[in-house]
Amino acid sequence: MSGPPTPSARFEAAAWWISTVARLVLGAVLVVAGGPKVGSPQTSVQAVRAYDLLPDALARLVGWGLPFVEIAVGLLLLAGLFTRIAAVTAAVLMLAFVAGVGSAAARGLSIDCGCFGGGGAVEPSQTSYGTEIARDIGLLLLAGWLVWRPRSRFALDLREETA
Amino acid sequence: MSPTPRSGSGQQRAQLEAELQARRRRERRLLAILAGVLVVLIVGGGILLQAWRTSRAPSTAPSAAGTATPVAIVNGQPIRLGKPDAPAKITLYEDFHCPHCADFEAEFGPTISAAQDKGQALVELYPMSFIDAGSATAANAMACAAEAGFGQAYYQGLFANHTLQWSEDQLVALADKITGNKTPAGFSDCVRKNTHRAWVQSINDAAVAAGVNQTPTMFLGGKLVDIAGLTVDKLNALIAAAAAG
Repeated sequence: MSGPPTPSARFEAAAWWISTVARLVLGAVLVVAGGPKVGSPQTSVQAVRAYDLLPDALARLVGWGLPFVEIAVGLLLLAGLFTRIAAVTAAVLMLAFVAGVGSAAARGLSIDCGCFGGGGAVEPSQTSYGTEIARDIGLLLLAGWLVWRPRSRFALDLREETA
Repeated sequence: MSPTPRSGSGQQRAQLEAELQARRRRERRLLAILAGVLVVLIVGGGILLQAWRTSRAPSTAPSAAGTATPVAIVNGQPIRLGKPDAPAKITLYEDFHCPHCADFEAEFGPTISAAQDKGQALVELYPMSFIDAGSATAANAMACAAEAGFGQAYYQGLFANHTLQWSEDQLVALADKITGNKTPAGFSDCVRKNTHRAWVQSINDAAVAAGVNQTPTMFLGGKLVDIAGLTVDKLNALIAAAAAG
């Protein structure tokens, strides 16, 4: 096709790049968040327990398993493989995190979200629920964009989905 | 785009196109299944790995070459490890399940142990228990070990195996490893009966009373040490200065 690009074609091109950045940022954040939690399983379980939302056995399972879910979804996003499904999972995770942190704030708990390792009780003055929720909503928006526009540059999906 | 045959009848072309698409769909489905299986394996394997890492037996432990002097356990009082007349006094507030404490111990533990062995420093240990149930069982066992005379080695063993959940069996197994299976009968009882639970609580209270609200916290000669900026060289210098003064 020749001639000047139409506005929709221009948007299409921009969308590909936005999706590329969204995919890499979201993927990297998930891998970075999951990594350190793998190193200290006790702390990870305790970070989940601190939310006081799940029965003990389930808290343990989440504490052990969630870091690996984050890493797996993060790696899929970084590779650009099954971007839409990975983005849906990431969006569900972010929704759960926002709900968890929001409920901790609403119940007046003073805990660290344990988002990037650590977690557990902290001094009331040391909570940062606002920042944590804002960050997760930002990541949720990235995930949402990717669900809508999963195609991007440098993705393993590329050949399959454009076929 | 993928090349498609330009010649032949339209019907042939359509048939080839359909076959190609069907093959792509099959490949894609296979890839999806593989990726799904891989994710399940990673997560399932991860959960199993963590279950093993927390429930296995202690893997490394120092031998009890250090102090063989039994240490008395008094409510509200720390465990004192080292020579009582050592000139430098190091006060440590730690939780056996706090990851930063394990990092601290990995980095500075050998320096502190050396100072204890040289008779340069006496450690006053406040094993706090605020992370989880394992923190408390480990703190109790630490008191049992100090009473039995292998507190120093047990302290190092607890941090060397900090991913363990510290069940009674694991705590006894650690002692067996340290003493070469010559754990005194009293130690096992002490662990299983949670003999020092009141002391464990009193240590938490003492920490609160001292205004300590994070671990690890370290005092040298009663002065708070900034752990964030600490290096081994600085710690050596601090200990030497405290020992000289």
